[in-house]
Order: sequence, then C-alpha cells, then structure tokens
Amino acid sequence: MTTLLSQLNSDLGEVANKARKSLVQVAAGRRGSGSGVILGADGLVVTNAHVVSERKGRRPMRDLRVTLPAGAVVAARLLAKDDGLDVAVLQIETPDGELPELHPIELGDSLALRPGQWVMAMGYSWGVAGAAAGGIVIGAGPDLPESPGIGRDWIAVDLSLRPGYSGGPLVDHQGRLIGMSTMMAGLDVGMAVPAHVIKEFVKEAIGGGTA
Amino acid sequence: MSTVLPELSEALADAVSKAAAGLVRVEGRERLPATGIVWDAEGLILTAHHVLERDENINVGFEDGETVTAELVGRDPATDLALLRTTKRDSSIPAWAGPEDLRVGHMVLALGRPGKNVRATLGIVSALGDSWRTPAGGPVDRYLQTDTVMYPGFSGGPLVDAQGRFVGLNTSALLRGVSITVPVPTLNRVVQDLSEHGSVRRAYLGVGAQPNRLPDGIADELGQETGLLLVSVEQGSAAEKGGLFLGDTLVSLGGTPVRHMDDLFTSLDSGLIGKSITARILRSGRLEELTVTPAVHP
Repeated sequence: MTTLLSQLNSDLGEVANKARKSLVQVAAGRRGSGSGVILGADGLVVTNAHVVSERKGRRPMRDLRVTLPAGAVVAARLLAKDDGLDVAVLQIETPDGELPELHPIELGDSLALRPGQWVMAMGYSWGVAGAAAGGIVIGAGPDLPESPGIGRDWIAVDLSLRPGYSGGPLVDHQGRLIGMSTMMAGLDVGMAVPAHVIKEFVKEAIGGGTA
Repeated sequence: MSTVLPELSEALADAVSKAAAGLVRVEGRERLPATGIVWDAEGLILTAHHVLERDENINVGFEDGETVTAELVGRDPATDLALLRTTKRDSSIPAWAGPEDLRVGHMVLALGRPGKNVRATLGIVSALGDSWRTPAGGPVDRYLQTDTVMYPGFSGGPLVDAQGRFVGLNTSALLRGVSITVPVPTLNRVVQDLSEHGSVRRAYLGVGAQPNRLPDGIADELGQETGLLLVSVEQGSAAEKGGLFLGDTLVSLGGTPVRHMDDLFTSLDSGLIGKSITARILRSGRLEELTVTPAVHP
C-alpha cells in the first residue's frame, strides 16, 4: 500500500516536471499575468486570448513578456488571437534573434478523452512558478451543461483552477498536452480548450507548419 | 516513471465505462436534466425526488441512445428518492456494494448523465457514520458523505467504488452544500415501499406532542428524564381509539422508551401498521398502560 502510494507520488512528480519544462508565464503591460505553453522549438507559444487582451474591450496588449522555464524573460509578439475560442499564438523574440533552448510540449489526443481519466493543470497560480492541480476529466465535447459556448468543444475537469492558471497546459498522465486551462465553472470545476481546437487554430493562424 | 499513475488513470476511466450502462438521463424539470439508475431489468429507474418537478411527461434516456417516456411509480420526499417505470427491458443492471465495503479515505467516483454522455467527478469518502434522519424526517441507514463535486445534473446518479460497483445514490438536496449518498439498504427499503404502495408507508398515531420533563420519582423509576406530552389527539385517530387523551405523557411505545420526538418517529416503523402495541403513559401522576393500533400515515 505504502509502496503503491509512493510510486504514485513519484509518477505525479515526473508528470509535473515534464510539463513544467514547456510552461511559461505570460505578462502583458502592467497587468497581472497568466500562463502559456511552448508549442514549437522555434519560439511558438500559445496562451488564452484573455491573457493578452485589455481587461475592457479586446484590444491586444503591447509589451508582451514571456518568462521561460529557466527564468529568463524574453519579449513576445502576438501572431494571432481568437477571442471566441480564447486562444492566442505568440512568437518569442530576442534582440539577437538567437533563441534559448526550448522544450515544446508533447501533444496528446484530446479527441480520445475518457471521463474519469486523470489530468493535471500547470500554471503560475498567484505568481507561484509551476504550480500544479490534479483531478480527473468530468467530460469532454460540446454538450457540457456549463459550457460557455454552445456547440463548441470543451473539456470539463474536476480540479480547482486558480487565477494564473489561465493559458497553462492541461496534461494527461504522461505529461502530454490535452488542453489549455481557461476558466472556472463554479468553485471546483475547471474548463479547458481542447488541444485539437488549439492545434487547428494555430495551423490556420500561421499557415501550417509547427503545430 | 512507474506504471501506477497510468494504471490509476485507466482504472478510473474503466470504472466509469463499466458503470455507464446503469446510468440514465432523467428529464423531469425545466432546466438541466438529471440522472437516474437502472434498478432492474423490468424497466424500473431510481432517481432523486427533487429533480422531478412534474409527475407526468417524464423522459428517460439510456446508454444506447434510446429515449422513452416514464411513469412515476412514487416518491419519498423524506429521503429524496423517486421511482420511475419505463417500458425498456433487459437493460444491464449495475453491480451494487454495501456500505460495509467502504472506509473513510477510499477513492470514489460520482457519476451523472445530464446530457448524452456520462460525466464523472472524483473524491474520497469523507465520513461514514451510523443511521441518521434527514431534515425532512426520512430514516437513512448510514451517513455517507464524500468530497466529490456534485456537477450540475448529478443528483440521482450513483456513487461508484474503485471496482465500478454502485454504493448508493447521490443527492445534493438532503443537506445543503454537502455531497450525501443514500446507501443501498435505504434504497432497497424505499424502492420496495414505492413499488408496493406508491409511497413510503409510516405508522401513524395521530398525536401532536412535545418533550416534557418527568417528575423525579417517575424519572427514577423509568430511568428516563423526559416523555412526550400530548398536545393534540386527532379525532378518529389510532391514538383516540386506543384511549389516549390530551395531556397524557407518553413514556414508551411497544416497550421502547420515547424521550424525544425522534424516538417516536423511529418507533413508528411501517411494520407497526395494524399491530396492537402497548403505549405506556403518565396520567394524573400515575403510570398506565393502554393498547394502540397504529394506522397508515395519511
């Protein structure tokens, strides 16, 4: 029993460590920040559109900064965003054009999610670097009772997302990206944009390639 | 990385899949549908009373996608349970487990089918206590509380153990803000009453009463400090027929001491309906014994 729980804890730690390598903090202007995920070794980062938008209105923020997993802060440029989907794609930029080594997250299959399967959300909760929250998939698809958008795919997760998780990765038991933490629906239910929706958006936004 | 986490994840998802056939969608209110449990292969469905806001025009959706109309067999608001009858036959019946198989700390899943598909939340058994009475007076065999999130539409759905067995029916209406599960023994009892009588039968005396301190001498003799002072006796009731009067103090019924209203409720089990039992009372300072025959609670 004890061994089993220790192994479980060690597995959980490994998943968190793996996901943390692709987790970034996204700050816009003087506003508070959210999280993001490294999608490509060429500096492509995805986050929520609401993380990089003015609180009122949907005007994109200037002065986007991304804190990389190792702590370096780099500038980023907004490539595209969709306020309806709540997804934004950023490109990390350095003055000399040289990018540090980046670890893109491994993509999982968000179309094959099963209710009950274990998931973990990673983010910069209250500014804490690489915070994690664990839980299970409540359900996925377009017919969730508390979906913000009718007919659009969401993942509902049984875990407590806190401010700062927005835009951060939701990963499966192998640390693969299955969604992006986006909002809470009630105190203990998190809503995430599925990875296949992100993938599709990035593909259209930047015209094929990386994702 | 070991295989524990992947296996846990798979096992949880498997438990949900295994349970899915036993879960139905119950459409009996204006807003979001709720959940029900396949009770037998003859089409009986068990759900929560509070999710049925109407007695007719109730629909039940099954795992295979079929939706059929259901007839309300009966309700028990006191335990928040309701029984429906459908024409659907040969549905697979879930495996059940008694509360004796549970321990505080065990992982459990709360399941629901408010839409087409089954939804799940995970938690642990928070408390497993003795029998209790709901605020509406319904007797429940065990107090079973979990920290599972009751997602919208989960009421009427099962609490499922690690093996995918159903251990009870979840409802958010019995106690506010707490996930309470009505355990199997209570479900069995209520379903039997509902299918036989259309309601949960309780024995009835026809008295209004309040706890009252007994005189010292009587209290010492009986070994109990309080009895129930009768403040009303209904005309034509079992109590009146048995000779009980306003102002009598009931101290025991069928040999069981009655100190508080709860004792009286508990002793008036449906098994007493039509049976002659002894009511011990304090009248004019003396203990007397009368025979009463409880009727059916109207």
